[in-house]
Amino acid sequence: MKIDDAVKRETKYIAIGSVILSVLMESIFLIAHHWSYTVILGNLLGIIAAVGNFFLMGLTVQSAVGLEQKDASAKMKASQTLRMFMLFAIAILGVLAPCFNILAVLISLFFPRIVIMCRSFFLNKEEGKKENDGGENVE
Amino acid sequence: MLELAIGIILGACALGAGVAMIAGIGPGIGEGSAVASACEAIGRQPECRGSVTSTMLMGCAVAETTGLYALVIAILLIFVAPNRLVDILLTAVA
Repeated sequence: MKIDDAVKRETKYIAIGSVILSVLMESIFLIAHHWSYTVILGNLLGIIAAVGNFFLMGLTVQSAVGLEQKDASAKMKASQTLRMFMLFAIAILGVLAPCFNILAVLISLFFPRIVIMCRSFFLNKEEGKKENDGGENVE
Repeated sequence: MLELAIGIILGACALGAGVAMIAGIGPGIGEGSAVASACEAIGRQPECRGSVTSTMLMGCAVAETTGLYALVIAILLIFVAPNRLVDILLTAVA
């Protein structure tokens, strides 16, 4: 199956944003004197789970877009359930295995949401700036 | 009496985790209806496929966060909260 350009592009943005947020989180752990190798491993596990979840969602969306409305809806629900089970299994692994820091695993799962929020914030700001510039030119 | 209290703590934590996971139903329904609407939109204007897909991806990711919150709360209630609460109880009794 050929991967859609939109899916690749968005996954790339999410992955880059997640890496930046990971560095930020690691530095906060370091400042708080709670840093150890378990934080890095937990962070890696969380990022892989979060970005993988986003990528799988993108693949499902890509394949569901060409279907009938009812089939697309059912496919998306089934995919969401399966991905939720995957995340549950990964989170349990992160909690039970002593080599992973629980907080690092759980916080990393929220990185895609934070990246989307920041991105939409910056995009709105840029659009507002462009509109202002356009308004000045018109005047 | 102490065993009863510990039992109540463990039972309440498990019940709370189960109740929290009810929130996991919502994202599935929301994503399903979003994708169905996107299919309709792409059917009307096939040239908008790329922009509709990327906007929908962002929307689905935001919708899914609700389920993630529930998942994290449930995991904390199952694996972390019981130990802490039992420790607090035993300290109070001692």
